[in-house]
Amino acid sequence: MSEIYHFFQQLINGLTVGSTYALIAIGYTMVYGIIGMINFAHGDVYMVGSYVAFIAIVGLSMLGLDALPILMAGALIASIVVTSAYGYSIERIAYRPLRNSNRLIPLISAIGMSIFLQNYVMLAQGSGSKAIPNPIPGEFVIGDSAMNGVIVSYIQIVIFSVTFLAMLGLTLFISRSRLGRACRACAEDLKMANLLGIDTNAIISLTFVIGAALAAVAAVLIGMQYGVITPNIGFLAGIKAFTAAVLGGIGSIPGAMLGGLLLGIAEAFGADLFGDQYKDVVAFSLLILVLLFRPSGILGRPEVEKV
Amino acid sequence: MKNKKHLSRLFVALALSGATSFSLAADTIKIAFAGPATGPLTQYGDMQFNGSKMAVEQINKAGGVDGKQLEGIVYDDACDPKQAVAVANKVVNNEIKFVIGHFCSSATQPAADVYNDEGILMITPSSTNPAITERGYKLVFRTIGLDSDQGPTAANFIADHVKPKNVAIIHDKQQYGEGLATAVKQTLEKRGVKVGMFTAINPGDKDFSSLIAQLKKENPDIVYFGGYHPELGLLLRQSRERGLNVQFMGPEGTGNTALSAIAGAASEGLYVTLPPPYDQDPRNKTLADAFKAANRDPSGPFVFTAYAAVQALAQAIGKVGEDPEEVAEYLHQNSFDTPIGKLAFDAKGDPKDFKFVVYTWHQDGSKTEIK
Repeated sequence: MSEIYHFFQQLINGLTVGSTYALIAIGYTMVYGIIGMINFAHGDVYMVGSYVAFIAIVGLSMLGLDALPILMAGALIASIVVTSAYGYSIERIAYRPLRNSNRLIPLISAIGMSIFLQNYVMLAQGSGSKAIPNPIPGEFVIGDSAMNGVIVSYIQIVIFSVTFLAMLGLTLFISRSRLGRACRACAEDLKMANLLGIDTNAIISLTFVIGAALAAVAAVLIGMQYGVITPNIGFLAGIKAFTAAVLGGIGSIPGAMLGGLLLGIAEAFGADLFGDQYKDVVAFSLLILVLLFRPSGILGRPEVEKV
Repeated sequence: MKNKKHLSRLFVALALSGATSFSLAADTIKIAFAGPATGPLTQYGDMQFNGSKMAVEQINKAGGVDGKQLEGIVYDDACDPKQAVAVANKVVNNEIKFVIGHFCSSATQPAADVYNDEGILMITPSSTNPAITERGYKLVFRTIGLDSDQGPTAANFIADHVKPKNVAIIHDKQQYGEGLATAVKQTLEKRGVKVGMFTAINPGDKDFSSLIAQLKKENPDIVYFGGYHPELGLLLRQSRERGLNVQFMGPEGTGNTALSAIAGAASEGLYVTLPPPYDQDPRNKTLADAFKAANRDPSGPFVFTAYAAVQALAQAIGKVGEDPEEVAEYLHQNSFDTPIGKLAFDAKGDPKDFKFVVYTWHQDGSKTEIK
């Protein structure tokens, strides 16, 4: 395969992986932006999303509704609705009662939630792997042949476009809508926003719901792309997305998008240059380098000490 | 006075409870079955547990060992080295003297240290890494062949049947996968076959797109994968989706119906080295039928090796009693008629003359032997 095809193939591979990191990273960054807490259960919310999608696909197929658009839409809608409910309940049960306590306490609660979700899914669904079929097999080939050319599979195109639409929708929502303005106000100063008549509890719940919904979108897309889910996929996905959020500047939504894409591309080319086993090393080295020179991340604002 | 009465009652109660637990211990011979009952490799644990449970049931039905019943207790190590050590310590605390397990080489290795220190006899029906029996432990045995046999079998098959110009070898950095991959590489190079690519992946990884792009660039005639089915399944599926049409080959840790569930049509035609098909051996027909009658699948590669391990252990206990040291001595010096053939152990505790067979895997989870 010629070098130029190889380069573009790795770029596309990196962008695909990066898009999904970005979708999950939004959940971390939005929650951090508003209540300054790292929701370590977010990776497991993503995992729950993929199981809901799996159950929806199996259920729809059993009912005989196995037409492609119904399957994809059904999985997506079911996953978004159920996973959002999870996101809301987790905040309500595990974080809200601890709102005014020491910062470390909700963090421990989040880790507990993560362990709980993993074990709950293991009990309910078994700890072995589950296979999700790829509903749209097939690919475009740019170049001479599959062996010598750039391959973009249909599912990759779906991942790009859905990620793009979700990001666009979120950006418009945050910058244009009334609720988005309330979100920004809360991110600026939670106490002040409350004094000015914004229902901050509702806004915080909303952030968790948005984060969970985007994680569900990522779960459906990644599930269909790779085809295998296990109860422990949330851990690695969560760590990678958290890295993406920190890389881009935690608290910043465009930062999470950029961080995700950068991380994906770094992994693809890192794997290419140093071997597949070193791709995580490359990704985390990049994180350390960026943080050395820009401690608040690429697009993050320097922390202002609140009085 | 009153206090004294209480004390004496307490003593009676203690003596009674002591007596009951003693009598229970005398009735049964406990054997720990250690392996993954949870986690992504559960299917293999089930094969192992099915084989050992079947053996225990049949031995008990035939009157047990020396008039005592065998009692198998399952311990879950999830194929995790840390959990395996915890399991080993639990076995020690429960005063069990015999272990059938563990499954993953990387779990068996640290657990074997504990067992050997505590005088517990261990027979693994499935861990194939050579290092496990290379530390001079007297109480460690296995009833399966070694990677140092399986690797060369695979490599010789590649050199003789595939006759490749260029081979790529990928492993998962774990003791089992890396050991096999290294053995395959060494044999291939000895036979003058070019190994153009030798690289590793991270266990648990989902995305191999970057690796596949590299494979396309390298363009090998065959790819050997040292590792387990979850990663190979994804690698096969993604290779097919990305138009990489190359022959893959894997070890017995990949020969599992879950591979087909993950990879689908992409698993068709994969080469796999597995222990011989004991369940299809005419001599084992009654036993295989007994498995099916008990609703257990006899076809996995570790079912009969586990069965044979229990059988040899029971026979040895029947002859020399329950002292692990003496049982080990007996296992070393004698041979046993088992469904996997005549089983005898060498000085290290490895089975003598164990053969692996190369199969073609099919997408429905079945396989055909390549003669």
